Amino acid sequence: MAELLGGFEQAVLVAVLRLGPDAYGRTILHDLQKSLKRTVSAGATYTTLDRLENRGLLRSKLAEGTPIRGGRPRRYYALTAHGVRALNEAHETLSAMWSSIQWPAKIAR
Amino acid sequence: MARKDRTMSNQMGMPPRWAEFVLEHILPEGDRQSVTGDLREEYAETMLPRNGRLKADLWYLRQLLSLSPRAFSGQSSSRAAVLLVSFFTFACGCWLALMECVLRHPHYVARAGMDITIALVPLTTIAVVCLHLSVRAERWLWAGAVGLIAVAVRAFLHDVHSSHFEGFVLLISLTLAVQGIFMLLFLGRAGRRQLRHGTAGSK
Repeated sequence: MAELLGGFEQAVLVAVLRLGPDAYGRTILHDLQKSLKRTVSAGATYTTLDRLENRGLLRSKLAEGTPIRGGRPRRYYALTAHGVRALNEAHETLSAMWSSIQWPAKIAR
Repeated sequence: MARKDRTMSNQMGMPPRWAEFVLEHILPEGDRQSVTGDLREEYAETMLPRNGRLKADLWYLRQLLSLSPRAFSGQSSSRAAVLLVSFFTFACGCWLALMECVLRHPHYVARAGMDITIALVPLTTIAVVCLHLSVRAERWLWAGAVGLIAVAVRAFLHDVHSSHFEGFVLLISLTLAVQGIFMLLFLGRAGRRQLRHGTAGSK
């Protein structure tokens, strides 16, 4: 059965996939704002990242910080095999759902 | 020292020191460094050059607010419950003291003083839980928790036996009792955990 993923969860997973090895909190936040075309709060992003990691869809590792961060480490995220599978399933499900409708949608009379 | 920090943070394009301090204490331990680092980087490299200090500070404050519910999530549900109940009891104590001062019934100064004393117990709890204070402070909390339960039981019995039954006294006494019980449970758990860590550390 397909893993149930919310809209924002999918956006976060896609951002991590797109950013590849550069996916850490700040770049993910930027990518989300660019792709969703709206302001995204740090609270929503980190909470979702945490939840996805707890569900085993993401894994993270700490790496050395830069001087501008005061030496604080960066937490880099990557998709797990389970995460990639869940994203593929979500894409398939959504594609099948959207393809059954003629676009642009019209009001039924 | 605080002044020196503030000057340093202004010069180096750092977020407000106090906001970063609060953030460090509300985030779960594992995320504390990485999240504050990300926000500091974004503040210094994007928000400050693009929007100026005031807007950048407001942005940081907004992020702080958006991350504040994480103080109640995290690993320990007892910690969240204690914080939530403590905030409520603190607000109750302050509200009662304020009302005493506004209404000025006989002996209102003594009553307001007692309300403030009641409000100080949850405030100390919040400080101990959030700032990880020493065991010495926790000993005071044991006494405070027992004191709260005693005040609650006394108020409850007084209200039940009085000819003029007052619902709000019952509500406040129940709140105090719940606060006291939560504190005892939390302190008991924290003490056991500390003992376990101490034993593990000495092996």
